[in-house]
Amino acid sequence: MASISIPIPLRDYAKNGVLGWLATVDHKKIGIMYMVMSFSFFIAAGLMALLIRLQLAAPNMQVVDPNTYNQLFTMHGSVMIFLFTIPMLVGGFGNYFVPLMIGARDVAFPRLNAFSFWITLGAGLVMLIGFVFGARSDAAWTAYVPYSTKSFSPTVGMDIWLIGIILLGIGSTLGAVNFLVTVYSMRAPGMTAWRIPMFVWAMATTAVMVLLATPVLTAALIMLVADRNFNTQFFTANRVQLWQHMFWFYSHPAVYIMILPAMGIISEIIPVFSRKPLFGLRAVVISTVLIGLLGFTTWVHHMFVSGVDPAIERFFMFTTMVIAVPTGVKVFNWLATLWGGSLNLKTPLLMCIGFLATFVIGGISGVMQASIPLDQYVHNSYFVVAHFHYVLFGGSVFGIFAALYYWGPKITGRMFDEKLGKLHFWLMMIGFNVTFFPMHFLGLQGMPRRIATYDPGRGWELGNLVSTIGAFLIAFSVLIFIINALKLRQGERAGDDPWEGNTLEWSVASPPPEYNFLEIPTVESDRPLFDARMRTPHI
Amino acid sequence: MVPPVTRDAELISDLYNVILILAAIVFVLVEGLLIYSVIKFRRRSADEMPRQVHGNRTLELAWTIIPAILVAVIFGLSVDTLGRMTARGTLSNPVAHVHAINDVAARQRVERAQPVDLVIEVIGRQWVWQYKYPGGDGVTTSEQLVVPANKNIRLDMTAADVIHAWWMPELGPMIYVNPGEMSYVWFNVPPGDYIGQCNVYCGVAHARMISRVKALPQAEYDEWYAKQAAANSAATRPGDPEIGKNIFLNGSCIACHYIEGTKAQGRVAPRELTRFASYPTIAQLDGFENNAENLAKWLRDPQAIKPGTAMPNLNLKAQEIEDLVAYLLTLK
Repeated sequence: MASISIPIPLRDYAKNGVLGWLATVDHKKIGIMYMVMSFSFFIAAGLMALLIRLQLAAPNMQVVDPNTYNQLFTMHGSVMIFLFTIPMLVGGFGNYFVPLMIGARDVAFPRLNAFSFWITLGAGLVMLIGFVFGARSDAAWTAYVPYSTKSFSPTVGMDIWLIGIILLGIGSTLGAVNFLVTVYSMRAPGMTAWRIPMFVWAMATTAVMVLLATPVLTAALIMLVADRNFNTQFFTANRVQLWQHMFWFYSHPAVYIMILPAMGIISEIIPVFSRKPLFGLRAVVISTVLIGLLGFTTWVHHMFVSGVDPAIERFFMFTTMVIAVPTGVKVFNWLATLWGGSLNLKTPLLMCIGFLATFVIGGISGVMQASIPLDQYVHNSYFVVAHFHYVLFGGSVFGIFAALYYWGPKITGRMFDEKLGKLHFWLMMIGFNVTFFPMHFLGLQGMPRRIATYDPGRGWELGNLVSTIGAFLIAFSVLIFIINALKLRQGERAGDDPWEGNTLEWSVASPPPEYNFLEIPTVESDRPLFDARMRTPHI
Repeated sequence: MVPPVTRDAELISDLYNVILILAAIVFVLVEGLLIYSVIKFRRRSADEMPRQVHGNRTLELAWTIIPAILVAVIFGLSVDTLGRMTARGTLSNPVAHVHAINDVAARQRVERAQPVDLVIEVIGRQWVWQYKYPGGDGVTTSEQLVVPANKNIRLDMTAADVIHAWWMPELGPMIYVNPGEMSYVWFNVPPGDYIGQCNVYCGVAHARMISRVKALPQAEYDEWYAKQAAANSAATRPGDPEIGKNIFLNGSCIACHYIEGTKAQGRVAPRELTRFASYPTIAQLDGFENNAENLAKWLRDPQAIKPGTAMPNLNLKAQEIEDLVAYLLTLK
């Protein structure tokens, strides 16, 4: 008996053309779009940072006028946080790898996923196009009232900024719902709690934080939009602290939203490149969840000089210091994983080592600032600028590049050039520390953040000049990364599993087929692929 | 840190030095372990397989409990320092930093605190600090706060527009100065010049909102004060353009005004002052001819001449006005 096969026509969204990308609901394509979008915003905000550093290279420089300077640092912070770090980690890596790592064919709500992406891109374009055409906010990313109210920021740029952030909040809230449902209900058979990969644990915790924190920020933003345009009186005089409470109730957890996924990434990479299991896996998971919970109890440490009741301040000093304990546990667990391992010092692991070496400095300076008397000195100074760049660049950005080098071959099917990768790492590591370490001293010497210029004779000249030189080193290192990415086309083929990975994404082709898994795998340990390799005798 | 000159600043500095030692120990330990691991445990052959260690309860307990103790110590030291800063009998703040302006009880606590020799009202506004001295002489300054040295001083501060922050690193804790609220600062300093600046972003000229404190021995202070009181009523010599230029470029004028080729790069004022003397009118006000007499009137109280103008009353002295007029009329 003869059989005939009838080819099923591909739906538009399954094709690869422009329409295929525009209409896609595939988590991998959406993930790639998030990554490309976020990286473009990273370049834009990085260029702003270079202008900022040029302006501060020497006293009384006039590279840009003070107005433009204030708009630049406002946009630099806003874009780096809302349009680069969060969408890259959550939207990009989260989308692409959470379903692959838990053995699912897509996220729970693929269309909602596409909606989250397009609203995020739309919001980003609203903010950036507004900026290019002169509708700019200059109220800093913190937008403190009353400066951000109509009386002191009358221009439409402030409204555009507010609306952009509101839209981004919608995108990330929907994304968080999607991740939680996906992780909760779509894990492969056998993937019990202790077998869930670390990156997935981090993403789930992050999603809970996004869900709990974002509505408070969105409410505050809407209240401010209403104050500005409909004469409501939410943030009138005597209520300047209300904004600060609502803003930091989101924005402090936001720090963990930006760092937990990066911690998840290095918890994946370090074991693979050490050929060892993650040391104290359960402790790392519990620490992750604890950081997520405690992250909600520390926001007033941003307000130690704002005029909060002293008893409340002491409570928040305590909680802020407590959060250092689970963070420290993770650092020691990573070190113990490296200890006694067989370290494959390729670029992904180097980036993780960069993360550890620099994040620790940010963690230590974080505990220092949690001390109220010290904060009464360093608050809002360049010491703080140094601190959060050690956390968000030293932590998140090194984590992001670790992930790009680690997972890039899976996404593209090609290997990065290892020599360029190493050059990128070393230049970025040196450039980063040259840029940001001197800022500790500048802050201690009394230099406030967000100043457009300064007079000579305050002892700030050398530190600023050195910092500016470092910023250009970082820019150069990123340029090398871009060259490396462009060269991927000629890269050597990656194969399914170039790094001897532990998790399910390495069991499928690179790039993975649209359906991810022909057959949904069954998981029997926290390192399914490692165990499979051990069962197969070496040839 | 900037060397402290008050007891409060010294307490902060001492605490910083202790915590820095603890921080350095953690730093060296972690970075040392990291560097050692990277060197010692490099992969030497492609097929080596290290021992599969999943964890170690004792070690893990150790690196949970020891950091917890460390953090508890830092917490304890911080609370102790806070206690010393506000202990009974000390000059500094025995009450909270900031109080709503209508909080009568808080105000009474401030009044009941350690008696002070001089209370100065401070108003922070975009982008200048204004200091109002007590007594009926109407002495106010905005360029610097002059105080008698080694006396107990209290500043009663509020903001006229947005949030500002009072930060004099040598003199003690920073504090926000909120609109609609009062903030209080106490200090007692030896003779000298101290500098700081606004530390909450407050707009285009935030970087130029500098605070200067000059502490003079009592006799010199009295002399200075008498001169101010006198200069308030009349200028003692004709205006000097060089002195006027100094006042202009080192004061708050440059926050808003632009003069080509100088430090004055402010862009708030609608017209630049590069060729001010050749303008027919002042403040683009029809009929308000640009001459020395009108310019002096304008500088004395801009709001009275043109209500609603962005230029605040800077409480300039008669002599300062003479000097500024002389300078501004040289800009052709």
